[in-house]
Amino acid sequence: MTMHPFGYAKADRMADVLEIVGPDVRPLAGGTDLLNLIKEGLAAPTGLVSIKGIVALKGITVSDGALRIGATTTLSELARSPQLAASGYAALREALLVTASPQLRHMATLGGNMIQQPRCWYYRNSKTPCWRKDGRMCFAFRGENRGHALFDGGPCYAVHPSDPAVALAAMGAALIIASPAGERHLSLDAFYQKPGRDRREDHVLAPDELITQIVVPVPTAQARGAYVKIADRGTWDFALASVAIQLAVMEQSVTEASIRLGGVASHPWQALAAEQHLVGKPLSKEVVDQVADAATDGAKALEHNGYKIDLVHGIVRQALQRLAQG
Amino acid sequence: MPTIKKTQVEFEGRIEEREVIVEEQHAQPWAPDAQLDIVGQPTPRIDGAARVTGRARYTQDMIGKGSYTGRFLRCPYPHARLREIDTSAAEALPGVHLIWHRDQPPPIPQFAGRDIFATELAYEGAEAAFVVATDARAADDALAAIQVSYEELPFVHNMAAAEATDAAPALQDLADNRINPDGSVYVRGSVQAGLDAADVIVDLGFETPPAAHCCLETHGSVVAWEGDQVTVWHSTQSVFGARISLADALGIPQHKVRAICAYVGGGFGSKFGAEVYTLMAALAARETGHPVSALLDRQEEHWVGGYRPPSRQRVRLGATKDGRLTLIEHEAWAATGAFGGAAPVIGGPAKDLYACNNVRTASWALRVNTDSSRAFRAPGYVEGTFGLEGALDELAGRLGIDPLKLRQINYADTSPSRDIPYTTKGLAQAYTLGAEAIGWAQRKQQPRQQGPWRRGWGMASQIWGGGGGPPAKAIIKLLPDATCEVCVGVQDLGTGTKTVLAQVAAEELGLPMTSISVVVGDSQATPFGPGSGGSVTLASTTPAVREAAQDVLRQVFDLASYMLELEESQASSLVARGGEIIYDPDPTRRLRFIDVTAKMGNYMIVGQGARGPNPDNKALNTFGAHFVQLLVNSDTGQIKVEKVVAAHEIGRVINPLTATSQVYGGVTMALGYALSEQRVLDPRFGLQLNSNLEDYKPPSIADVPDIEVLFVDQADPEANSVGSKGLGEPPIIPLAAALVNAVTDAIGVRITALPLTPDRILRALYTHKEEAS
Repeated sequence: MTMHPFGYAKADRMADVLEIVGPDVRPLAGGTDLLNLIKEGLAAPTGLVSIKGIVALKGITVSDGALRIGATTTLSELARSPQLAASGYAALREALLVTASPQLRHMATLGGNMIQQPRCWYYRNSKTPCWRKDGRMCFAFRGENRGHALFDGGPCYAVHPSDPAVALAAMGAALIIASPAGERHLSLDAFYQKPGRDRREDHVLAPDELITQIVVPVPTAQARGAYVKIADRGTWDFALASVAIQLAVMEQSVTEASIRLGGVASHPWQALAAEQHLVGKPLSKEVVDQVADAATDGAKALEHNGYKIDLVHGIVRQALQRLAQG
Repeated sequence: MPTIKKTQVEFEGRIEEREVIVEEQHAQPWAPDAQLDIVGQPTPRIDGAARVTGRARYTQDMIGKGSYTGRFLRCPYPHARLREIDTSAAEALPGVHLIWHRDQPPPIPQFAGRDIFATELAYEGAEAAFVVATDARAADDALAAIQVSYEELPFVHNMAAAEATDAAPALQDLADNRINPDGSVYVRGSVQAGLDAADVIVDLGFETPPAAHCCLETHGSVVAWEGDQVTVWHSTQSVFGARISLADALGIPQHKVRAICAYVGGGFGSKFGAEVYTLMAALAARETGHPVSALLDRQEEHWVGGYRPPSRQRVRLGATKDGRLTLIEHEAWAATGAFGGAAPVIGGPAKDLYACNNVRTASWALRVNTDSSRAFRAPGYVEGTFGLEGALDELAGRLGIDPLKLRQINYADTSPSRDIPYTTKGLAQAYTLGAEAIGWAQRKQQPRQQGPWRRGWGMASQIWGGGGGPPAKAIIKLLPDATCEVCVGVQDLGTGTKTVLAQVAAEELGLPMTSISVVVGDSQATPFGPGSGGSVTLASTTPAVREAAQDVLRQVFDLASYMLELEESQASSLVARGGEIIYDPDPTRRLRFIDVTAKMGNYMIVGQGARGPNPDNKALNTFGAHFVQLLVNSDTGQIKVEKVVAAHEIGRVINPLTATSQVYGGVTMALGYALSEQRVLDPRFGLQLNSNLEDYKPPSIADVPDIEVLFVDQADPEANSVGSKGLGEPPIIPLAAALVNAVTDAIGVRITALPLTPDRILRALYTHKEEAS
């Protein structure tokens, strides 16, 4: 299909962008999702404004105890940046390297990756008027749902597709968001909110707002992380399930644990019971098995996605075993 | 003098007796131990550089200046009645040149016996209107401006729905969805006798998914008229099929139609003759006086470009304690679309792979509301081998006999269904080669487990046709500088056809490869060649090239004997070798080839040759065996294929380089079928949910394992004068079965449905755990 026509402009300054972006004029960075949405008839902006020339949105720096990643940094730039070589960033680095394909990682930006639309095949099919597209119901709920949500589903059962977002959530990252009214800081937990009656997106970014920076607390010397993703295919595929784990370990005992699951909920899912079970314990085989089991606390399987319960147990176990080996 | 002769040709599991016109054959088959200079050498593709640098021109590259774009409005439902269609607003848009639909039909309103724009639309993507505009944007704007209303009709989206007692008919006028209620049945011996003689019986059900061809180049045609002469650039496996079918559809003589396909980006059985879009482009080009292109986009390719039909199979095997098969019974059902696509021969392998006196195969086809299925690389045999070889593996387990040994015990030395000898059968050697390369005998000593990873080995056998046959012709033009054009009416499907044709011509003429050009893919510039299907291209055409080359040499030798002052009787002792014409009894009497041709001035020597008949009362088949070693992760359901060994017997291997590539491609395609590909249709809407390459998942390069390719490589001099058989389809046939057998070996549970995605593995492990506890 040819694309719906739209106006196009390039911006050099944030102020110019903030003046014009809104429901009809969208910021364009990597375009790896937005341009497809337009081709598929799922988005019809009247204008696109390129933000790739805005210097303030680029770059990776460390200041005030945080790694600050400009929103238009590409996934491949970030993955190979020297800052990410430190061991505490392993979860994020690994998540970046299993995202999409090398070609896509060269184009896609971190900010865009975090707000991409879900890959649900009912949402992506312009012929099925699903809830997410202002329809009345979710067709995945009683349909072909092997890829759909295991936790806290409904009214939409689509899962968040980003890999880096899962790792960033585990690392306690936050976002800096700009709008004509000024700037706000939101933790990822506050940013990603389950869609509901008044908002069919899975995040709270308003149409006139722009993510400018992703802020990751610099990991402590004791921090270790891992990311494990399972998909149908070896590359260029979204997770059936994934897990990011960030731990602090002192004297053989876990002092802090953050466990986030991808591919199982509308946002990076916090496996709270598993985290609580892990803190204060060693990474023994017994504990690892218990934590893996606890990771699916609260899961509710649909007709075709029950395997994800076993899969989550498996990947949590795999990630913890790796971390136990140091 | 041409004479009429009956000859037998096996095509995709069916034996056809053809009455063919054959010419006297001059070429003696190359002996198995013949010393050949070029044939048998690994030879890079003569068009390889053009392909990898983007200079090769495919059908879409033929869209020239002033060309118009044709696009279809397609039915958005699996089954609907077109109520009203109003194209007035669309016609008023700038750049829109014509629109055809039910109420405003094209000058030729039917294709292949059906209305092109019907009221009843029986599948997603069925054509509702055709728009021709200045460019794609204008065409799409026009499509969006068409006012159309449909009445949705009940539909059936899969076999279970189609078979239900209260199933809606896929076509309104039909009582039910059975295409052949009596089935297509083959019997030898008796099922009861087989059951009575059995000590052990295995009875298993299997399911295979609908699978898309995923040609990287989508289907399409570009058509231009010059007066009453029409040229169609068609992405096809058969330029002659395209020419004949377009001439028929247009009702014009064949000599007015030229079909061209210089390069095709994959066909796999889905691209033969002219199609609806070809006819529409041809009519629109005639109407508007401009060339018109009609190319499918990726979604349309999934909707109407064909697929391997889904199958359900029941396999019942009986055997004595010592492993002799007493019964092979194979029943299969396939859903081939609303109008019933080509029914695959799913029972083919069960009939012919093993020696067994009691065999029954039966297959049925069902209508569902999808477009017609199409032939897809070894149609039926991929599905049927999955069932048969899975059941045989299960039988080996029950008998406590090694799976390879069980196959050797039941080895068929002659064709079981035809009761005649094979020209050659190298399956035993393929077993030996493959088993050695994978370390089959030592596999029990290998570690079985590494953490959650469990290791397994599996194998499966392959039988297929591929012997080719007449008719096929070749013309060789010898130019004054001792270079040649070899003209054959086939197309290079990507398999390396052009290169092997050049090798055979160069070998016979004693000229270097650099002196040979090959003309294929042009119905006007070449004599007839077959469609590239059923693995017939190479075995049908290379013998014709040898004949044509010998015809050239006879004429060259006449000139050479004059120049060498030989007697007429001595001319038959001339040979062409290394660019020279040599008098064999006295090699000092020799000439350079170019010295002969230089004498010709502008005279051109033209040689022609035809494919001879197949041998009488001999079965012509290809054979092979695949072996797989893999790991299954019991935590995550992932499969890591560690090694595939593919051993094949295809007679003489003309080009080991392209043959090996062919096997890499077939194995990779089979890995997708086995591990990640399946078309998903939603039960509520009846629509495809993954009509793209993101959710329909062919393997990525990261999924391709270590593949070791081995050839038995023994000439089959009875098959034809080159001694070769085809390889297009064999490498996709046994892999899925070998892989599932390896997974069963690894996890101790047999999975009987494809693809083996992580969810299917985890479900199998989980259910198994439940049963065990």
